[in-house]
Amino acid sequence: MFKRFRSFFRVLTRRRDFEDGMSEELRFHIEQWTDDLVRSGMSRGKAARLIRIELGSLDNIKADCRETFGVHLFDELRRQLSYAARLLRKTPGFTATALLTLAVCIGANLTIFAVIDSVLLRPLPFPEPDRLMTIFNTYPKAGVERDGSSLTNYYERRGRIPAFASLAIYRYGSEIVGEPGSTERLQTVRVSPDFFSTLGLGPAIGRTFTDQETTSETDHVAILSDTFWRQRYNADPNVIGRQIRVNSVPRTVIGVLPRAFRFLSSDARVFLPLASRPEDRTPLQRHSGGNVIQMVARLKPGATVAEAQSQIDAQNATLEVDDPQAKMIADAGFRSLVVPLHADHVATIRPTLLLLEAGVLVLLLIGTVNLVNLLLIRTSGRIKELAVRQALGASRGYIVSETVVETTLLTLIGGCLGTAVGAGGIRLLGALGYDRLPLGGQISFDMRLGLVALIAVIVLGIVLAAPIAWFNLRRHLGNALQSESRGGTSGRATQILRHSFIVSQIALAFILLAGAGLLGLSLQRAMAVSPGFQSDHVLTGQILLPWADYSEAGRLKFVESLMVKVGHLPGVLSAGVVNNVPFSGHSGKSAATVMGHVRRPGESPRGHYSYGVAGDYFRAMGFSLRAGRFLTADDSRRSERVCVVDEDFARYYWPHASPIGQRLWDGSEAGKDAEAFTVVGVVGEVKQAGLTEDEAQGAIYYPYAFRIGDSVFVAVRTSVPPESLGLTLQKVVRQIDANIPVNDLRSMETRIADSLVARRSPALLASLFSGIALLLTAVGTYGVLSFTVAQRRREIGLRMALGAEPRHIRRYFVQVSLRLLAGGVLLGLIGAWLTGQAMQAMLFRVPAFNLAVLTGALCTMTLVSLAACLLPSQRAARISPMETLAEE
Amino acid sequence: MGKTAELLPGTLDMLILKAVSLKPLHGYGVLLRIRQISREALEIPQGSLYPALYRLEHHGLIAAEWGQSENNRRAKFYTLTAAGRRRLRDETAGWNRLASAIAAALGTTSEEV
Repeated sequence: MFKRFRSFFRVLTRRRDFEDGMSEELRFHIEQWTDDLVRSGMSRGKAARLIRIELGSLDNIKADCRETFGVHLFDELRRQLSYAARLLRKTPGFTATALLTLAVCIGANLTIFAVIDSVLLRPLPFPEPDRLMTIFNTYPKAGVERDGSSLTNYYERRGRIPAFASLAIYRYGSEIVGEPGSTERLQTVRVSPDFFSTLGLGPAIGRTFTDQETTSETDHVAILSDTFWRQRYNADPNVIGRQIRVNSVPRTVIGVLPRAFRFLSSDARVFLPLASRPEDRTPLQRHSGGNVIQMVARLKPGATVAEAQSQIDAQNATLEVDDPQAKMIADAGFRSLVVPLHADHVATIRPTLLLLEAGVLVLLLIGTVNLVNLLLIRTSGRIKELAVRQALGASRGYIVSETVVETTLLTLIGGCLGTAVGAGGIRLLGALGYDRLPLGGQISFDMRLGLVALIAVIVLGIVLAAPIAWFNLRRHLGNALQSESRGGTSGRATQILRHSFIVSQIALAFILLAGAGLLGLSLQRAMAVSPGFQSDHVLTGQILLPWADYSEAGRLKFVESLMVKVGHLPGVLSAGVVNNVPFSGHSGKSAATVMGHVRRPGESPRGHYSYGVAGDYFRAMGFSLRAGRFLTADDSRRSERVCVVDEDFARYYWPHASPIGQRLWDGSEAGKDAEAFTVVGVVGEVKQAGLTEDEAQGAIYYPYAFRIGDSVFVAVRTSVPPESLGLTLQKVVRQIDANIPVNDLRSMETRIADSLVARRSPALLASLFSGIALLLTAVGTYGVLSFTVAQRRREIGLRMALGAEPRHIRRYFVQVSLRLLAGGVLLGLIGAWLTGQAMQAMLFRVPAFNLAVLTGALCTMTLVSLAACLLPSQRAARISPMETLAEE
Repeated sequence: MGKTAELLPGTLDMLILKAVSLKPLHGYGVLLRIRQISREALEIPQGSLYPALYRLEHHGLIAAEWGQSENNRRAKFYTLTAAGRRRLRDETAGWNRLASAIAAALGTTSEEV
């Protein structure tokens, strides 16, 4: 079999040689034969005649030879292709419409599929990636869905969970790398020694970290990413052993990762050991994850997620027995969940992407229906030609293959255009911020996508050909020769088919329109939510102070001088510092214990947003004061234990009493009296993680001195446009420490807008899709009605001759299109309801069945349908009875 | 020229394989050789010789190569491949079985029934 393929392709690729060889061989045959005949005494002329009779037509012999090699199929294809191309050129209007439809539909599908492919489908770039799991702690009843894992979890689980071959932890970060004077802030990942072996992909040069390198005295080693090694060290193979300064501490390079190494969405350049002290690994620290450290584990071959989960559960149960906080932890609904790493990483955007994919598939369906309709109309014009050809002996197979060749040629060209549209679409996604999605950095147009496109386009070509071919063959030849001729009317079945296509098109477009409407309304409602503070004129930026350079006192001093310098800048009204601004994307919750509050049975402990603030943070952010006073710059200097809570917190703990003067401890346990914080003020509720965050969790603000972390956000209220102060702010920070950059410099308004990207882009794309769908439906309706009018010219003329007035004719066609509209909308309503149900989780304060949205969709659809039928019905009304009857 | 017989369907391939098995031949040579080894009894229909040669080549039973003819002309010579040799053996055996069976059947007299 294989041999035959090879010889077939050899002939195809050397077609010239094949033909020449065949001619020469036959010529040689004739000459030899002639010589023999002449030698036996025949005259040359007579010999030639004899040979011609005996041999028959040389062309026939050659054709037979070609056929044995299967080459004739190829010739046939070429003939059909050029016929199809000629047909397409003859009807430029149809061809342009069809190609445009295909380009848009295929382009949109390629774009969304590119995202689906790189985010959801493509496996992670590690060996046997489906065995990689992540494990995280969750305390759902305390409002903490996800808390990462703790160091204690890691040291307790390592080697003790039989279902896992290995297990590791990692922590994202960013460090200042380089020699003084030429430093840059780079993304880093701190990892446990077994991180690379768990992933199954380790350094290409050098070694990985060892267990001895996990203390802060011994962790002076680093592994470089391939990119960093090439950029910074010029791909020097002798880089191992060289020194690299990280946070001004020298470290030894011990390894370089391979080029293919890419961990989830991280763009980390340097990998460092995750160092810790023995006291960080004690059972007391078991629940101190704070969503900072994450765990990754590899299942043993044959082990299942369920096995791993039950082993983790069993271990947790044994360990919690001697935990003093066991009761509270259990009340909070604590569990450690085992989830596949890839699925977990993309869990948040999966539904959105699937929704968009459904949207583009509907678009493709509308486009396909449109094309089938247009092709049916076109083929109606050729009914007679086809019937005549069949009567003259064209085989059914030939007619079918001709149709397939024609539609596939169309979809192939459309596919090429669609590829260009798709490449543009991927750019557009970049502008919408899709590269910031999980795994979004890898979205690209590559060979794999091209192959998928090619297959899809060929399948589409065959799908388009099927109804046309069926229609052509089903027809009775005799009838075909008579009906649909100039004098007759359209066959009933044909008309029903065309109209049901229009109805389904209207229904699908209606569903898309309603879906886009729901998403848009949901976005609008989300945008209308007040964040709880005055978000205009506030500039914010993150500053990371390395522990190596800054002690706690150093941090306080840094913050203090920053506040003084920034406060004196022109254009600055007030300035403050906080561990985390709202909408920073890193808001974490922690526990607090209110003096005198006894948890009722079954009441779970609550996690609260807890912040340390310095300077005039509340004024800078424009928080509203409900009672008492704000924390001010003075509070951060004094060491008095005071705090401010928000309304939700106050309402929860002191529903009937004044919160001012109440006391609480930072942490999950009551401490000494002297360590308690006194509430001095109540501020309004603030949206912390996003505008659509519905469940308030309460917030506590402590003076910065009591909540010092390695990162602070500076917030500045300005009298000028906030972005204009960005450079000045960076300069001020550099004046204090030349090696400290300001990261993530954005105005609060931008932060809020960015937080809505997950709602805005689907809403935008869905409206784009439904706009295209409307256009396609309009084109479809217009095409079918125009065709009907053209076909029924004679009948219309006759009716007008018998006394029908133009307005009657016009009304008739408008009625036809209204009937189609009614059918489509009715079906569309059912579809829109189902779609709304499926989308419910993605909607914000919008019910699945929203009357305003549906009415809007109905009005738009009606307008489009009427506009599409206007021209054809007008044309019908202008038909002159004299002319049409004279045409016969 | 003596009396010629009509070629049975399917036997042309077998005869070509046999002719080529004796010595590499060009197309015209195959024609002559079949006529010669069948003692001028078999006449090949001229139009079907080349399609048959191409078919056998396409199936890998014979191989073609350009070379010099006896009167120094460029000609395409066909040789038997290993697969072709196997096929020829099988077909010869099959044909002999068939021929003897038919001969036996036709030679039957009424007494033998």
